[in-house]
Amino acid sequence: MQGALHVSGTARKSKPKRSMGRKLRETLTAYGFLAPYLLILATFTLIATGYAFYLSFFYLDFGFGDPIFYGFKNYEHIWYDLTHSGDFFISLKNILFYTVGVVILQTVLALALALLLNQKVRGRGIFRTAFYLPALTSSVAISLIFIWLYNSQGVINYLLSLVGIHGPPWLYDPTTALPSIMLLNIWTTAPTFMLLYLAALQDIPDHLYEAARVDGANAWQITRKITLPLLRPTTFLVTALGTIGSFQMFDQSYLMGGASGGPLKSTLTPVLEIYNTAFADHAMGRACAEAVVLFVVILFFTILQRRFIDTNIQY
Amino acid sequence: MAATISQAPPQAQVRSHIEVDNGVPVRQRTWYLLLYVILIFYSLFSLGPFVFALISSFKTYADVLTPSLIPHPVTLSNYQQIFSGADLFPRYIVNSLIYASGTAVLNVLLASMAGYAFGRMEFFGKNVLFALTLAVLMIPSQLILIPKFLVATSLGLTDSLPALIVPAMAQPTMVFLMTQFLKGLPRELEESAMIDGASRFRIFWQIIMPLARPAITAVAILSFQGAWNDFIWPLIVQSSQQNYTLTVGLAYFGNQNYIAYNLLLAGAAVNLLPLVIIFFIFQRYFIKGISTSGLAGR
Repeated sequence: MQGALHVSGTARKSKPKRSMGRKLRETLTAYGFLAPYLLILATFTLIATGYAFYLSFFYLDFGFGDPIFYGFKNYEHIWYDLTHSGDFFISLKNILFYTVGVVILQTVLALALALLLNQKVRGRGIFRTAFYLPALTSSVAISLIFIWLYNSQGVINYLLSLVGIHGPPWLYDPTTALPSIMLLNIWTTAPTFMLLYLAALQDIPDHLYEAARVDGANAWQITRKITLPLLRPTTFLVTALGTIGSFQMFDQSYLMGGASGGPLKSTLTPVLEIYNTAFADHAMGRACAEAVVLFVVILFFTILQRRFIDTNIQY
Repeated sequence: MAATISQAPPQAQVRSHIEVDNGVPVRQRTWYLLLYVILIFYSLFSLGPFVFALISSFKTYADVLTPSLIPHPVTLSNYQQIFSGADLFPRYIVNSLIYASGTAVLNVLLASMAGYAFGRMEFFGKNVLFALTLAVLMIPSQLILIPKFLVATSLGLTDSLPALIVPAMAQPTMVFLMTQFLKGLPRELEESAMIDGASRFRIFWQIIMPLARPAITAVAILSFQGAWNDFIWPLIVQSSQQNYTLTVGLAYFGNQNYIAYNLLLAGAAVNLLPLVIIFFIFQRYFIKGISTSGLAGR
């Protein structure tokens, strides 16, 4: 009895302190849970990002000594390249064409597929699975399969010959090589974005459709005036993710352009150029500067999209 | 107009509208027919290349470019040649399996732990760190490849399996996914366990983890897929052939001067098959995971 009284007495006295202590302990426990994640994040993402900016002002010939301060020389080199149609310029030109084409077409395709699957379709799950398969598989396996399909004696040209078209040697012709990769990537990326659109479509409250039907709107009007405006945040997300992804295209141009962005640099992309600068030219510092430039370009386009696609919607 | 609508019960209105629609069934039937034609056509477009590649992986080198749907003759020699080990192919498969399953197991553990802290604990710095996790998702990952490689090198992480797994073992996307899921579990789970005197770690391990099965499955599958399909990081970080993953090994296959398409297709099939099987078994979690992680950008 006395003991219990004593305990409750001290408890009352030190209550704020103890809750402070509990808070501190909770914080420490939380950081215990977070420690491995934060360590990996800090090392391989945050430090690496900072290091990229830092190194872009240095000369670093990998494997042969310490970084040497270089001032803006790496950036001057890039500027010279850009103003004299150098490789980095070519790669940026290629990727802009690629990104604009891929993002627009894959967004339209993803939206169309989602709208179709959102109808009262029997076997929706089966169609969704079938559509998703290209997005599931590795870029390497798909690229290899398409190297075979795009062969000048391959299946695609065979199918074209059935309708009397003489197909080009797709990947060996500088005018068709990049569009061939674009088609392939639209086909593989659209299904993922279709899933995002489908999820968003299911979030649209039914009463909005009902109200529109009551007002006598037909299916086309409902899609145009209700569904599409309500999907705008998803459209922004899809175009932003699509842009960021497209600008970083590497695997396909490495695999299908013979590791050099060929033919005639027509499939050279900035990330492939950065890779070559780092591991073929052994200019790590300049590679980082190129990455910084590409980062600014991507940021610019993402902000531009934000301005064009108004995501501020109210139900 | 608005007044009449609000007076009438909306359901009755809709039903009567459908009846009107039934008055013109022909147009609707044509639309549905067209819809199924489009869906089936796109399914063929989507599956065709895989089916045809799989069939052709049983063709001989001489036959592989012919457009026939039946191999003539049917041969297993492509697969036999691949698995004979002359190109270290079996080694690549093992490396890829270790990379993918190691990444999956570690992400399940570490992302659940981080997700538990973010989703169910109150602590100093939580909002800043979670905002950071979301911000990092928007950093184009290929752009920090070179510094990431230099950091890994300075830590001695090159040309080995840990060099693949360590940088990928706790991904922000997976942390986000776990956080979103764990946030949704009822508060009372902890409260009653805490009254019984259970520690945070015991609650996490014995109560939360068993309930997080759907999210754990999604994280396991998505991180397995990411590592299994990864190309650029193994390409950069591995230098000796015995450490190549399947994707890197296949790329060298495709870059040789004369392209043995028959072997290429068999290799691609081996690369595709595990994911296709996993996808068919765990489809639900795949789709849930993609939809949730897509929300991170909002």
